[in-house]
Amino acid sequence: MDVLEEITIILAEILDMEGLEITPETYLIRELGAESIDLLELSVAINSRFNIEVNDDELFLRTLRIHLRAAEMEGRDAAGYLAEKYPVLTVSRVGEILADMGGGPVLRMKDIISYITCYGKN
Amino acid sequence: MARRVVITSIGVVSSLGASSPEIIANIRQDRTAFAKAPFDEDIAVCPVSKFEVRNYTGPSKERRYLNRGAQFSVAAALGAVKNSGINHDSLKKAGLFVGAGPNLDIGGEFPDIRGGAMDRQDLMALWILRFLPNTAAAVRADLLGIHGENLTVGGACAASLQAMGEAFRKIKDGYLDVALTGGGDSRLHPGGILAYKKAQALSRRAGAPDGASRPFDEERAGFVPGEGGAFFLLEELEHARRRGGSIHGEICGFGSTFGGGGLTAPDPEGKHEEEAVRKAMAEASLEPSQIDVVSAHGTGTQLNDHMEAALIVRIFGSANTVPLPGGSDKPSVIALKSWIGHIAAACGAVELAVALACLEDNYLPPVRNLIKPCRPDIHFVREGTRCAPRTLLMENFGFGGQNCALVVKSGAVR
Repeated sequence: MDVLEEITIILAEILDMEGLEITPETYLIRELGAESIDLLELSVAINSRFNIEVNDDELFLRTLRIHLRAAEMEGRDAAGYLAEKYPVLTVSRVGEILADMGGGPVLRMKDIISYITCYGKN
Repeated sequence: MARRVVITSIGVVSSLGASSPEIIANIRQDRTAFAKAPFDEDIAVCPVSKFEVRNYTGPSKERRYLNRGAQFSVAAALGAVKNSGINHDSLKKAGLFVGAGPNLDIGGEFPDIRGGAMDRQDLMALWILRFLPNTAAAVRADLLGIHGENLTVGGACAASLQAMGEAFRKIKDGYLDVALTGGGDSRLHPGGILAYKKAQALSRRAGAPDGASRPFDEERAGFVPGEGGAFFLLEELEHARRRGGSIHGEICGFGSTFGGGGLTAPDPEGKHEEEAVRKAMAEASLEPSQIDVVSAHGTGTQLNDHMEAALIVRIFGSANTVPLPGGSDKPSVIALKSWIGHIAAACGAVELAVALACLEDNYLPPVRNLIKPCRPDIHFVREGTRCAPRTLLMENFGFGGQNCALVVKSGAVR
């Protein structure tokens, strides 16, 4: 079973949605309606299943806007700053996120997968 | 003019069934669910089989935070609303009054606990919600869109009757037009059984589990835990009439007192228990002779039933051994824990649902297993009786001296 399949099963249980269809492009908050309480359960489940010490802020890109503001204050390039703060995200993903900020919470399944792939010991 | 409060819908999940017709059919055929606890041969319990809360909630991510008692509570409330035909706007302003007990399922929630440490990977982030008494109320408010006054009552085994009394008062006194009230509970798991077994409150009578719950019998030996939930939609009479709600009965009086004596045993003289009953009848403007049926707390413990039987005789007087032809001015006494076990915080709500099902059917169920009554001068219902009783007195007395009584007139409002 790949990581996407495993997370889909975990999320289907947390959100109590049967036959959940999830791709790497699916937005967790925008599309699946995940709330902070659900992300909290997801974080605990990932910690348990993949044996990862989860940093919720990093996993769920929670401090994204704070980092952007910090970059602006320091006169730094936003993309470079974010790449530093989120080592699991690729340069192209950072660019995508910056272009997508106006549409609401940017967190997608592929970000969760990247995090697990990067830190997972399993 | 005084505001009157009517019951316009009932939702129930019980070991006798999840609707009035189902409950009546099972009672008529003496079909109960008493069984040995799967993990303790000595103990009888009365479980609800084939219950799945998702059948009531539909997909709901909050379901995971409901302990079994809370699941019964939520399911019964959703059932009551579904049966009522009430609209969303009325519900928005409705109140919510819930009787709840503690989650005692320690072993089920934390099977791996050792020396206070919980080395368990699958513990939910918010497992705390399965222990907070108001989680059921919060989930229900969310699912039903209820935003009015609310109260989660923790008055031990009188909790749900107390919640109903508070809901009744809020409507009667003009604070609300609509309120949803009741409770749910389950303590049949090892943690619950351990708690009551240690307290020596459970029946450990040898023989068929069916014979373990025997309220008011000389050979009673303790209570038998049950589980389930019931909820009632209460409405101010004119509000119910305007929207064409069907009326199952009227709540006419509520009495509540605090014993303030022992933490578990009732006051042997039953002084404050009696006061609760008298207050309920006074609010209903009824004399003892006008009560048709008493639904006793009747736990089947030595102490409660001794106290309660004496209380019934003090209030209603000594009944003839055999009812006189043409009736009697003494009430018939039923004890529904002999049918469904003791549902702890939810006993009052489920017992009222069962009692109303019986009264609507013009039928009084016998006190099961009552072979040698502890008193000869009370009209215990000894066999199923066809009659048309109308005025019902509910009694519940809980640990800690929680005493509640509710007077309900069943059927159409005159």
